[in-house]
Amino acid sequence: MSLKVLNPNAEVLNKSAALHMNINAAKGLQDVLKTNLGPKGTIKMLVGGAGDIKLTKDGNTLLKEMQIQNPTAIMIARTAVAQDDVSGDGTTSTVIFIGELMKQSERYIDEGMHPRVLVDGFEIAKRATLQFLEKFKTPVVMGDEPDKEILKMVARTTLRTKLYEALADQLTDIVTNAVLCVRKPEEAIDLFMVEIMHMRHKFDVDTRLVEGLVLDHGSRHPDMKRRAENCHVLTCNVSLEYEKSEINAGFFYSDATQREAMVAAERRQVDERVRKIIELKNKVCSGNDDNFVVINQKGIDPPSLDLLAREGIIALRRAKRRNMERLVLACGGEAVNSVDDLTPDCLGWAGLVYEHILGEEKYTFVENVKNPHSCTILIKGPNDHTIAQIKDAVRDGLRAVKNTIEDESVVLGAGAFDVAARQYLMNEVKKTVQGRAQLGVEAFADALLVVPKTLAENSGLDTQDVIIALTGEHDRGNVVGLNQHTGEPIDPQMEGIFDNYSVKRQIINSAPVIASQLLLVDEVIRAGRNMRKPT
Amino acid sequence: MREIVTIQAGGFANFVGSHFWNFQDELLGLAEDPNSDQVFKTQYLNMDVLYRAGETQQGIPTYTPRLVSVDLQGSLGSVSSRGTLYSEMPSGTSNVITWTGNVSTHVSAPHKKNFLHDQEEQKSGIVNGGKGEPCGEIQDRDIVNSLEDGVQYWTDFSKVHFHAQSLYELSGLWVDGQEFDNYGIGRDAFSGCVRGEDMNERLRFFVEECDHIQGIQFIVDDSGGFSGLAADYLENIADEYSNTPVLLYTVRPPSVYANSRSKKQTIFNDLHNAVSFSRLSPLCKLIVPIGLPCLSKSKASAFLQIKDEKTYHCSAAYAAALHSIGLPFRMESLGPTADLRYVSGAIDVNGMVQMLAGQARQNMVAILDAAIPAPPLMSRKQCCYSILGNLHPLTPEVAEDMEDLQAVESVSVHGALGSDGLRAAVGDVRDSVDAAYELSPTRPRFSHLSVALCPLPISLPFPSIFANSVGQHGELLDNPVPGSTSRGSLDVHSIPVAARLRSSTAVLPFLEKRLENLRRFGIQQGAPGVELLKSWGFGKDEVEDMGETLSNMVKTLDPHPYESSDSD
Repeated sequence: MSLKVLNPNAEVLNKSAALHMNINAAKGLQDVLKTNLGPKGTIKMLVGGAGDIKLTKDGNTLLKEMQIQNPTAIMIARTAVAQDDVSGDGTTSTVIFIGELMKQSERYIDEGMHPRVLVDGFEIAKRATLQFLEKFKTPVVMGDEPDKEILKMVARTTLRTKLYEALADQLTDIVTNAVLCVRKPEEAIDLFMVEIMHMRHKFDVDTRLVEGLVLDHGSRHPDMKRRAENCHVLTCNVSLEYEKSEINAGFFYSDATQREAMVAAERRQVDERVRKIIELKNKVCSGNDDNFVVINQKGIDPPSLDLLAREGIIALRRAKRRNMERLVLACGGEAVNSVDDLTPDCLGWAGLVYEHILGEEKYTFVENVKNPHSCTILIKGPNDHTIAQIKDAVRDGLRAVKNTIEDESVVLGAGAFDVAARQYLMNEVKKTVQGRAQLGVEAFADALLVVPKTLAENSGLDTQDVIIALTGEHDRGNVVGLNQHTGEPIDPQMEGIFDNYSVKRQIINSAPVIASQLLLVDEVIRAGRNMRKPT
Repeated sequence: MREIVTIQAGGFANFVGSHFWNFQDELLGLAEDPNSDQVFKTQYLNMDVLYRAGETQQGIPTYTPRLVSVDLQGSLGSVSSRGTLYSEMPSGTSNVITWTGNVSTHVSAPHKKNFLHDQEEQKSGIVNGGKGEPCGEIQDRDIVNSLEDGVQYWTDFSKVHFHAQSLYELSGLWVDGQEFDNYGIGRDAFSGCVRGEDMNERLRFFVEECDHIQGIQFIVDDSGGFSGLAADYLENIADEYSNTPVLLYTVRPPSVYANSRSKKQTIFNDLHNAVSFSRLSPLCKLIVPIGLPCLSKSKASAFLQIKDEKTYHCSAAYAAALHSIGLPFRMESLGPTADLRYVSGAIDVNGMVQMLAGQARQNMVAILDAAIPAPPLMSRKQCCYSILGNLHPLTPEVAEDMEDLQAVESVSVHGALGSDGLRAAVGDVRDSVDAAYELSPTRPRFSHLSVALCPLPISLPFPSIFANSVGQHGELLDNPVPGSTSRGSLDVHSIPVAARLRSSTAVLPFLEKRLENLRRFGIQQGAPGVELLKSWGFGKDEVEDMGETLSNMVKTLDPHPYESSDSD
């Protein structure tokens, strides 16, 4: 072989070996993730070498945890992770769809078909499926008041695949309300405005939505109140710390008193800033028993804390940068970068501010705010891996709700779309295609069935029975999905099972592309070994 | 009280850090141990500078380093990333409460427990270091031997308990997975997923509880992707804590120098070095490059028996030097009337930075020199054998005998012995160093001296790297101890160490080499590395900016044009 002449160390896999390597890798990855799919899937518990536990039912997390070495598998995994980045869900579906496309293709290729023809068929089928999706989707009018029920149904569909039913249903309300809280008309939804905070405490069912903010630190002065009602909140980014001046100015002094005076003079600047804050406090709090809270992004040193505490002000230092934005959205007012022109307009308002202490961890709750555009989902759980898993699920739920609002449409779930699309391809599209590309369309159509098949398999049902029942109903013109408990066809609309339109579209879009690329590989060369890092 | 937060990023940085924290742990233990030497009981070093007090949810008090350690996934070996102190109750961890369906469990083979921890479990109850009851000599020897051969992860020889927020693993980046060896990958790693944000959160946790932080001490392994990661991290730090000085130590093991065989690899490495240095240096207040290509044969290891291929060995030497440099930051600054019997020369991070990098010449690259162990004070006639004369650079590519009238240096000596073999008083050390300055032909323009009485304790996990001429208290013996070739923690209990940071033109070759490499491989017409730089995400302009940064640094030290500098 010519390459061998150029580089005797090169390893070459020829045509069919290369193809089979790719197909096997895709199938292997599919096998790993397959059991995850759906509300009856298997949760994976990963125990690391040091005994760390990780729980996941999320394809995305699982892919990250596996140290994938096979280059083909890496390609597929990257596509799937990209899927997650774009639409927040559908990692598992992408991987098993790619795997199934490869598996179906293998059959035809073994019979002597050229991959190129199959790929042409994929392309036609993909376009047709996307068109079909446009027809099939259920539009949802969002307007100013989104239909909360439909949002909940989408969120529930996602969450039930990650958590047990009771908890999923509880979180459904939480994530839906959280997204609606941060949603502003005419603006893209910024999910970062939903803070996700966790406490290792009590039980998972204590997870709740806080309309307001939870900060993971508390005041650093023993005399500051632990609980205050009717609070004016000053959000600022002002250093209240005594700092040596940056410029290289030395102290010149001849005795101790002079030195003291110099230090005091340097200190005065900081005190001045604190005094201005206290002035503002006196302006708004005199004559009533309102309280005053300062939340600062920069530091506050003990002397400044002292001054503030003496005035009954609660002060928090080193707040998260993102929380400065969130605070303003939650409480109102504005974040100030200097204390020079403080007015009462800068202040936000919170009905209740209180501290919660768990061991050395302190949490500050800013609650009962007037018109929140930011909120916090407070996750509780008895241990870290439970919290981490709930957190993953909450993220997915939030994305699902956001996608729905932005897509203004949903797709019937429980495998209904996949079966419908397959029937459409087989009954209508295939006839319009000339020549052998028909087989490509057929392979694609059969591959679509992988989702209902896997759902059935994970539920312990007979896949053949289920597919026959489903396709039969579809041929009769009924759009049905799979009932996971009985294996009977159900109407997903009635059951409230909806998937995200953008997730589906993304899967249909990206999976065939990567499958086609893998199919068209006819040689794998591993050369240039000496260029790699010696191991 | 002025706190310091430490950040360690990358494999070798964590090795160095592990030794560093072992020293601190040993000092803490000795201070409480009734049987220990008097010098350890009255250290006059404020441990709260580096450590924080906390308590677990069960109400057990803890005392842990203020540390954020960043490394690849799987680099922690047998230690859980949550540390051991804050782990939850073991009961009920194995049932999955969030899922009622099937559960499949995948258990990877557990790592072999590091025997230091094993031993601790046997002793049980001793939470915070300390020597505990001395175990049988034979058992200790076994441990030493197995450490010599068996260290794979930095946690294998660490005896420190870390806070649950301290150890951060880069999720999705595995130790033995894809290669993590260049600047570009490191940048992606920081921005990818939520890693950057997580790391910032970890740091914020430690900074928030500081009443008055004096500085951040950042140790980075700049030989691979971690330099890119650190650069982005530093950028965030500069943003968030704008007035907090950052002291950056870039460390690398000797093994990375052995890696460049092919020409392509050489270009790759040279470019990486140039890029990482020029990107890191503007983001901190003082940068100290550490890591000799051949530590075992360098002058710095005249009394050491180091094997270059063992990161466990090399990191110990560097950690000892870093420990000495950091001592003045922790000295109790006593009033003017207080006696200077135990420590003298306290200075804070900002003061150090101002002194070295803030003077007339704004040179922010400092050279680290060290003498491990420091020689005893001698009478004047033997001044060539003095502490100053024995300080040898740990910074690579440094010119020797460079005369620089503008040099500024800060020397830190601790635990020095007198000529009679007894611990020398602080005042005597001062006098001796001053005298050495007097006598030396090239005197720096300004020098600062910090002295502490307390030597560096050598505890069990310290490797056997001392030559057989080093005695039990770090004295240099005239007659080498027969038998073994290298001595470790069983034979040597403590050593005096001297270290020095200096801002001098001696660092010019280091800078010039990087500038030259960047120009030759990255900027010139048809340079071979342009594509490479592009793949790391640098456009032409950025590369030129970096060249500018470097040439400015050269210019501050050497005001003459580049061409004429050939003469020196």
